[in-house]
Amino acid sequence: MPIFIPLICLIAMGVAVFRRSVPDPLTGPAGRDDVPARLLRWAAGLLSAQRAEWGQAMLGELDHIDGWSRRWRFAAGCAGAALLLPPWGRAAAAVWGMVTVAAGAAGLYAALAVRYGLGAWSWVFAAVVLVLLAGCTLAACVLVRQPGIAVPGLLGGLLVALAWLVPYGFTFYGLIVAVPPFWAVLTQGLGVPLLAGVAGTLWGGSAAVGRRIARLAAVSAGLVLFLYGTLAVVAIGAAGAQIDATWTVSANVEDRLGNNVIFYLWLVPLTTAALGWAAATATAAASARLRPRLAVSVASVPFTAPGYLAEGDQGRKEMPPYEAGRADRGRSWRRTVYLLLLGAVVAAAVFGLALGLLRG
Amino acid sequence: MQRNRPPSAQAIKVLRALAADPARWRYGYDLTAEVHLKSGSLYPILVRLADRGLLETSWEPGQGSRPPRHLYRLSLAGREYVAALPVAHPARAGRGVPRAHRPSEA
Repeated sequence: MPIFIPLICLIAMGVAVFRRSVPDPLTGPAGRDDVPARLLRWAAGLLSAQRAEWGQAMLGELDHIDGWSRRWRFAAGCAGAALLLPPWGRAAAAVWGMVTVAAGAAGLYAALAVRYGLGAWSWVFAAVVLVLLAGCTLAACVLVRQPGIAVPGLLGGLLVALAWLVPYGFTFYGLIVAVPPFWAVLTQGLGVPLLAGVAGTLWGGSAAVGRRIARLAAVSAGLVLFLYGTLAVVAIGAAGAQIDATWTVSANVEDRLGNNVIFYLWLVPLTTAALGWAAATATAAASARLRPRLAVSVASVPFTAPGYLAEGDQGRKEMPPYEAGRADRGRSWRRTVYLLLLGAVVAAAVFGLALGLLRG
Repeated sequence: MQRNRPPSAQAIKVLRALAADPARWRYGYDLTAEVHLKSGSLYPILVRLADRGLLETSWEPGQGSRPPRHLYRLSLAGREYVAALPVAHPARAGRGVPRAHRPSEA
């Protein structure tokens, strides 16, 4: 199964880059377009609406700075400030919760490494774990601040975490040792991530919001599951069925910790975000297609429900007719490539799951 | 909603730099060089000072393909606030405002 993770990851990254649509906070001239400017534009796009003006201020200032290193230093500092700039409001509680979960998991991991006298490589691996934990926490902090994302995203994360815990009856032993039934693997690997994307889009009303909800669900579930999995290793240590009877206690514990990292800090966030993203985009596109038919079928009835706009449709009214035609052709081509890539992602995921089951 | 916590030593440096020529509009990057602060520290300070009404902001229109640029100077309240600060003392620089000398309104 882990063999297919890089494959799914590469395909998902390709699709994500292809379908990427970074909101540009600038309404006027965009200025230079080098890497520091793109980094800062991305960070400024994550600012809350009340602080959007400050994002423009940073971008405007960066445009007047010359020199590669000075531009990098300025952009990196401003990007860091933009990621953490208040107001946080109620989101602060969620952020502190995430930080606590991540810190707790890191602490337990370190305690296990000391208790079982794990080797030097374990500490190298621990550094990788710290980076992954910090990445998940930072991503959650950024997402939870976006309007309309926190509640559905955290609910989605809870749903994903339950899909991984319910099949084992919430037992530590089951989580570490038991082989999940086929229905559970399908639910964890495909069903719940797709559901998170679809439900997020229907909740938020647009593909962009749906994708953010799926991403928050992915990272929050990954953090919670990693903490739970590490607690399970603390509780049962090397007890239970072992892969190889010749393995030492330390080797068993190390293996279980490694499995936790692969599954909960890598596989869960990756598959949930990638499949949730695809489902969100597909849901928005399907809603946009269904909307005119619904409007025709209920033409005689007052119909005031909001439609779900695909991102490409936003701002279409402002386009002159000749540009709209060109944009339609471009969108059609992009949609075809997108559907092909989406099919590849789903096929790779199903193939990987099936192969994992056969090997198991 | 807004908490009037005492300003940090870095915020006071920014306030004093702006107070040196209160009528002049400043650019953010010039301020980073003047007060030796990184951009990641300066902008949150400017945001807080503007939120508290101590700072006026304005936009310099962009020229050609260049985006507009943000400008800063002290507001009237900001000038009064700086005037009420204790005189900078080399030994105390970097320690913030002593509790006994904090201006009541900020």
